[in-house]
Amino acid sequence: MKKRRTFAAIVLALVCICALMPVLSACNTSGGGIGGGGADTLVIYNWEDYIDTGLLNEFEKYYREVTGRSLSITYSTFDTNETMLTQVMRGETAVDLVCPSEYAIERLMRAGLLANQTKLIEEFSADYPEAFSNLANVNQTVLDKIGETFGSMDINGESYDMRDYMVPYMWGTLGLLYNTKIISEEELEEYGWGMLWNESGNPDLENMILMKDSVRDSYAAVVFYMEKYGLLPDGISATYGKPFSELTANELINCTDPEMLDAAERLLTEQRERISGYEVDFGKDDMINEIVYLDLAWSGDALWAIEESEYYEDTDTYQLGYYVPEKSNIWYDGWAILESSDSKLAAMMFIDYMCRPDSGARNIGYIGYTSAVDQEVMKYDYGAAQALLDVEYLWYANEEECSVYDYNGKMVFYYEGEGYYLDLYGNEVDVEVDVTDENHLTELALETDDEGYYLLPEGLKDSYPLDEEYIVCPDSISLFYDDEGRYPEITENLGVMQDYGAANEDVVNMWQRAKAGGGVPSSLWWCLLAIVLFVGAVLGVYFLKEALKGRPRRLKDADRK
Amino acid sequence: MTNTAAASVSRPKRRFKLTKRVFSYPYVLFMLLFVVIPLVMILVNAFLDTDNNLTLDNFADFFTDSSSLIILANSLLVGVITTAICLIIGYPLSYILSKMPSGRVLVLFYVLPMWVNFLIRTLATKAIFIAMDVNLGMGTVIFGMVYNYLPFMILPLHTTLSSIDRSYIEAAQDLGADNSTVFLKTVLPLSVSGIISGITMVFIPTISTFAISQLLSNGKIFLFGDSIQMKFEQGLYGVGSIMSLVMLVFVLVSNFIINRAGRKSGLSIGRSLW
Repeated sequence: MKKRRTFAAIVLALVCICALMPVLSACNTSGGGIGGGGADTLVIYNWEDYIDTGLLNEFEKYYREVTGRSLSITYSTFDTNETMLTQVMRGETAVDLVCPSEYAIERLMRAGLLANQTKLIEEFSADYPEAFSNLANVNQTVLDKIGETFGSMDINGESYDMRDYMVPYMWGTLGLLYNTKIISEEELEEYGWGMLWNESGNPDLENMILMKDSVRDSYAAVVFYMEKYGLLPDGISATYGKPFSELTANELINCTDPEMLDAAERLLTEQRERISGYEVDFGKDDMINEIVYLDLAWSGDALWAIEESEYYEDTDTYQLGYYVPEKSNIWYDGWAILESSDSKLAAMMFIDYMCRPDSGARNIGYIGYTSAVDQEVMKYDYGAAQALLDVEYLWYANEEECSVYDYNGKMVFYYEGEGYYLDLYGNEVDVEVDVTDENHLTELALETDDEGYYLLPEGLKDSYPLDEEYIVCPDSISLFYDDEGRYPEITENLGVMQDYGAANEDVVNMWQRAKAGGGVPSSLWWCLLAIVLFVGAVLGVYFLKEALKGRPRRLKDADRK
Repeated sequence: MTNTAAASVSRPKRRFKLTKRVFSYPYVLFMLLFVVIPLVMILVNAFLDTDNNLTLDNFADFFTDSSSLIILANSLLVGVITTAICLIIGYPLSYILSKMPSGRVLVLFYVLPMWVNFLIRTLATKAIFIAMDVNLGMGTVIFGMVYNYLPFMILPLHTTLSSIDRSYIEAAQDLGADNSTVFLKTVLPLSVSGIISGITMVFIPTISTFAISQLLSNGKIFLFGDSIQMKFEQGLYGVGSIMSLVMLVFVLVSNFIINRAGRKSGLSIGRSLW
């Protein structure tokens, strides 16, 4: 018996130790992975479905070419920033490279877990001067936007610039995915975020709106709604020291003052009664199937949904549209290297590889979101054009679609349906057709293949970098790169969201209260009442029957007497 | 005989013997790894804040937050209602089935849906509601719950009801009881064990579900399970663990009450489970 008890004690102790393991290991500073063996290793931790996986193998080859060493990549994925943060911050997994959202990068930086990439580049450039040239391809406006919010982060009294610690990978906006038959553009312009509260009073929209089941996005939507409709709390924000109504877009979405949270909670609770529900994944399908007509959506998801939705030939419109109200949230995901990593060179080179224009284009083709690689660089890049042709974001010019002219020695394409002239790269050309001087515009007779696609003329083959044989349709280039949904203008009306920090729990609790609604729903009480009544009725019937049954017997007894 | 037994005991080392107990080792190991350790981890997490310091704040956070308590009350109510509806539908059904000669086969039809994954079934239910233009909300959630857990009520009830010895009923009839008296005085008391295991098997899972309520209400009905899930998703492990513990306490308490009720009626429920 005693033996058994000691055995049980040992088992219990073991269990406790196992359970405490993560806590104990968190106390140690996690010392990176294994550095042995002939091959270098690189552990990448990225969002699910967030890379063209072919690029991983190609990078391994590229790494061997440049450094002469072989590399083996371990690629794993996460589904929320929080999962990633737990894994990395508790040191449960040895990771070299992560690709989370801005606020998660902020949290990692504040925890001192990220390596300074500017210093790394300086260090490695001595040996591999060519290896980091693509980093310059990153869209400068995106970088500037990041700098505005995270350019001088104060961590323990020192100033840090997030741009030294990450390279943006994908970015986008938050907006409204709407059904073009039900909601007009004028309505959207007039009511903006108010559409989510059905401010337009459109009867078709009652119970036909979906919100995002995500605190951060819903909070962004509600604060912009409050701002537009003057619903912001009165008084002065304690965080920013000025009236709530004077806060900029950036300050608004990052303001977690209690007054603000209260107002947001009230509006979200009110909204709960009028919407269809909350989603994170099925919204796109529900929009396409017209189960709902309006959805709070991220730009990439919205573009995907629009492409999948019905196209009406007669009006040249899609069933769905994407609208970004005047003030909105801009988000981005970026690559960051962990300080504990042993493969910083490989990690840095991988980031550079992701910034190649063709990698950027291939990732757009695979993921559908907007790559942080500058569109002006991709536009003129051969590899990028090929990648976009493969996924049919671009297509070849056909003689049915457009006719080719020479305009002052430049080749221009005339699209009759649209009525504009475009040059080879999709830029609009102002053609002034002067009747008196016909030399300005002369029709070119380009060779076509059997199906009517324009073949690239001899002289252009070397100078035109987009394709070797055919001409890429300039209209498709302009459609792709000038799409406001994919490449919105980055202004100060787009706010970058920071980590809520200590206020995180308050915001989450606010969201929970808003989603749960106040009190016990009356339908539950009615249900309970109905059941009680039913049981009561059954019992009543039984007793009634007993009573009825009892009476004649008593009568009989009386008769006998 | 006694000599050899004594010898075998006094022998310092016995060779490995394939006894009955050995077969339980894999099970014990499995339980340790996947039941005991996670539970201990939840317990540990409940007392840690975000920086891994010991704290009791999580308890205060949960028990002072009225919304969490309301959500808990809602979950319990949904559980009670679902269980009651399941019982009201399930009992007459199992009773009728147990009286029919082909009942054993017919019961299979009620269990058949369980062979399809419950998520797929729930999504299909949702599609049907949408096609019928029914507004998703509390009603659909309760429907989904009843639909999903009804087999868990029918099966134990049918097992107990069909195993009741016919001679008890005949005896009652011989003694002059009419149909309703036979049912109330003979069949019902004999099937209490089935009712109790049915209630256990419906009530306990329903108070902790989150997928059904989320799917069948588009996330508008927010139950305790949803709340726990959200807390863990948002990295609030402390409060999430507390809530899991609260849920565990409720499960244990309801199990205890149901057990006591079972023992009072002089029947062990262990035997009647399936």
